[in-house]
Amino acid sequence: MAVPVADALSPAPPAGDVTAAGRFGRTRGVMRTLEITIPGGVLLALLFFCFIWPIVYPVPQPTGGSILNSSLPMWSPGHIFGTDTVGNDIMARILYGGRVSFEVAAAVQLIGLVVGGLLGTIAGYAGGPVESVLMRVLDVFIAFPSLVLVLAIVDSLGQSELNVIWALSAFSIPAFARVARAATLRLRDQPFVVAARLSSAKTWRILVGHIAPNMMPQLVTFSLLGAGVTIILEGALDFLGYGIPDPAPSWGKEIAVGQTLLSIRPSLVIVPSIFLFVTVVCLNLVGDGLRARWGVRS
Amino acid sequence: MTAAALLEVSDLCVRFRSRGNVVNAVQGISFTVEPGQTVAIIGESGSGKTVSAYAIMGLLPRTAHVSGSISFKGVQLVGRSEKDLRDHRGRNVAMVFQDPERSLNPTMRIGAQISEAIRCHLPLDRNDAHERAVELLRLVRLPAPERRFYEYPHQLSGGMRQRVVIAIALACEPRLLIADEATTALDVTTQAQIMDLLLDLQRQLGTALVMISHDLALAASYAEEVLVMYAGRVVERARTRDLFGSVRMPYTRALLGAIPRIELEPHVLLPVVGGRPPDLSAIMPGCSFAPRCPDVQQDCRHHTPALEEHDSGHWWACWHPCGEETGP
Amino acid sequence: MRQATGAGPAAAPSGGILLEVRHLVQEFVLRDHGGVRGGVLQAVFDVSFELRAGETLGIVGETGSGKSTLARSVIQAPPPKHGEVIFEGTDLVRLRRRAMKPVRRHMQMVFQDPFRSLDPRWTVAGIVAEPLIAHGVGSRSERRERVNSFLDRVGLDPAGYGKRHPRELSGGQAQRVAIARALVLEPKLIICDEPVSSLDVLVQAQVLNLFETLRSEMGLSYLFIAHDLALVKQVSDRVAVMYLGKLCEIGPVRDIYREPLHPYTLALLNSIPDPSPPEGKRDTARVISGEPPSPLDPPSGCRFRTRCPRAADRCAAEVPELRTLGDLRQVACHFPLPARNDKRAEREFVL
Repeated sequence: MAVPVADALSPAPPAGDVTAAGRFGRTRGVMRTLEITIPGGVLLALLFFCFIWPIVYPVPQPTGGSILNSSLPMWSPGHIFGTDTVGNDIMARILYGGRVSFEVAAAVQLIGLVVGGLLGTIAGYAGGPVESVLMRVLDVFIAFPSLVLVLAIVDSLGQSELNVIWALSAFSIPAFARVARAATLRLRDQPFVVAARLSSAKTWRILVGHIAPNMMPQLVTFSLLGAGVTIILEGALDFLGYGIPDPAPSWGKEIAVGQTLLSIRPSLVIVPSIFLFVTVVCLNLVGDGLRARWGVRS
Repeated sequence: MTAAALLEVSDLCVRFRSRGNVVNAVQGISFTVEPGQTVAIIGESGSGKTVSAYAIMGLLPRTAHVSGSISFKGVQLVGRSEKDLRDHRGRNVAMVFQDPERSLNPTMRIGAQISEAIRCHLPLDRNDAHERAVELLRLVRLPAPERRFYEYPHQLSGGMRQRVVIAIALACEPRLLIADEATTALDVTTQAQIMDLLLDLQRQLGTALVMISHDLALAASYAEEVLVMYAGRVVERARTRDLFGSVRMPYTRALLGAIPRIELEPHVLLPVVGGRPPDLSAIMPGCSFAPRCPDVQQDCRHHTPALEEHDSGHWWACWHPCGEETGP
Repeated sequence: MRQATGAGPAAAPSGGILLEVRHLVQEFVLRDHGGVRGGVLQAVFDVSFELRAGETLGIVGETGSGKSTLARSVIQAPPPKHGEVIFEGTDLVRLRRRAMKPVRRHMQMVFQDPFRSLDPRWTVAGIVAEPLIAHGVGSRSERRERVNSFLDRVGLDPAGYGKRHPRELSGGQAQRVAIARALVLEPKLIICDEPVSSLDVLVQAQVLNLFETLRSEMGLSYLFIAHDLALVKQVSDRVAVMYLGKLCEIGPVRDIYREPLHPYTLALLNSIPDPSPPEGKRDTARVISGEPPSPLDPPSGCRFRTRCPRAADRCAAEVPELRTLGDLRQVACHFPLPARNDKRAEREFVL
């Protein structure tokens, strides 16, 4: 009966004396569930294949292939997607490369959520000089075009997966901080927060008990959408040669390498591109679907 | 019931499907509106009054299942195509909504919004529409109408915005105006101004007015006839004087008793009726007010009373109505 | 400029002065784009009144009257720009945040929209227990006892409702939870900001009765804010009428309604739809004219003068102060309406 109004930021139902669930219930509930479960299922399948499958099933190694096996076409026995110019199994490179994408996306979003969320919430709740200083510092980071900023950081830190994560976090932290601050500002003046202040609840209790939980749906959907962006950025880094170092595979690198052979063997570019595309689209669909279901205002 | 009736609603039912549930928002209501008459439909949230209004306007979403008959000047509205309904809206019936903020486009000048409404139905060119728009603004007593034509909604106060909304509603001279809680969001002084205006306009233009409200006192002051709705049904219908002078349905009596009134002494406890309106997705047998009715008897729970004209001009749906002289 | 009200025989219940508000001013600085100071909105201007223990003071006004802002200023959320709020002898405006805590125990608030004043993610029991936890009252089981007893008191069965979330409640039930939360620390004063405006008529009556019952059971004082005149009369001992941030008049409830002294009060009373059925339409002459002025740029002198049928030059030049007229009544008007039995005064006020 109840409509899952997930948080205090969602549009409030009218009071009257009808339950908050509303008189007409929710239509298209089934459609909305499919909107989330189908892409969600695809994502889970991808995660499974990238992380668990190689442990269970003897997938060839992504590196150290033999020249003798080079340039095998698609659907060859033992190599579904064929091999690349130095004999590496492409399927393996896709799977292991996928690991990189997911790890980086997860790490960057998590760091952004925790650090950025914290900074934004503090800024929004405290207001005054604290807010001004924090936000101006973060504004500096936002002012840079994301790719330029990230390139600069990786260039100075050196190439490695960890450094890529740090570099991309410099972009995600301010983004989360902005969202968290806006949400906090809106929540801070809501009657239930005022009521908590009137009950003399301690500030940290208010932040942890009232403000944070009511921001969560918004931050979760934001992080899902952000994950898609992160994966693309990471791919772009690899494509430009600034990402993870050779010989480790990644989707961006496959596209970069395959680009030179595009006219001869388009599958070298197409296959990783499809994986990239599907992953980002599914992340977006799940993010959007959750946003619709939870009634989060963007 | 007479041949001259402007609007004749007969056994109107509106059902919404949602997630396997069927919500019976309106369960067979019937009433008529004569030309130039002022009728009030009173009810609380969930009574179905707004849904009925939307049905008359043809504004219900496609998920709504409408049955019964809504006849406007003899023309049946149930089952019409969207195109026909669009012609009907604005031309024959217009609606004034509760929240003037949301009824007006904030990015468009008010003059343009009125002109747009005019040219929807009337074949006027731009200049003629402009003139008529200014005329309408004058009609709704908006000061300095020529200047206001070029202003944006945010430059006007709530009361003024509601006047603009009324002007838009009247743009094509509809025969029937529906005001859905049109003054609920306004201050009491502004409310008095707007209601006055509506009544004046009614007299001038001969438009019939259906006021939808939860405010019985408002209905009593301005309407000729009052319909009381509860849980999707009309439970009492009478001329205003009769309704308040000799209320019959215990629900109406409860409503009357629950309104704080100036004549009462302070700190007096109001007579209350407990419970809540029934769940519209599960129709139970018997009178829908039975679970809460202080006068309930056995047969009330088993047989649904029909709305019948028991006294001249006074209809009620109750097996055991209140006695003769109960006033509020 | 406080006039001694004296120990009048009638109206107000016995009890010392619980709350005294003096010359309260609340302003909001409006910022234009880019944060530049745009204008100053004076939401509350020079408001003074007292509230005795056990009394209900109703504050009535329309949109922009500043009544809600006044309520928020009294509870210091945010504190007013100027003026004093003296609660049980202590000026709250001067208190630091830490010192406010014991005071807050005795002063609680009930808001207009129950669904926004309750955290949608908390359970009912958790919501009502929060003030107890914040003030460190009792052990866990003692708190649970107390929560249950107050839920009972507001008419909600603790076993059935304790674990529910606000979205599973109706408007009336949610407001009862809010009331239980306000009561759980057994405060002396409850500020009610339009507590029944968003509720249906029948539920409204239930909740109003609840307020009344609790008042006598627990010896509470209320500051009751509403825009509905009849409602305010129902619950109050004294009534204050506000317009555009200023107090127009204040006095015992029956007197104000029977014999308003301020033209605005009369206009308000005339605007109420009359449920006893007179035939035909209303007397148009009684309907107030004009639009409410913008609070950003209020009229000089008396703020009501642009809509007042009795306005004169003096009204534009001089801001009327709140003066005591007769028994326990105060009016801020240069030309108050003549009291019915004061023929002498009537001559004075003819323009």
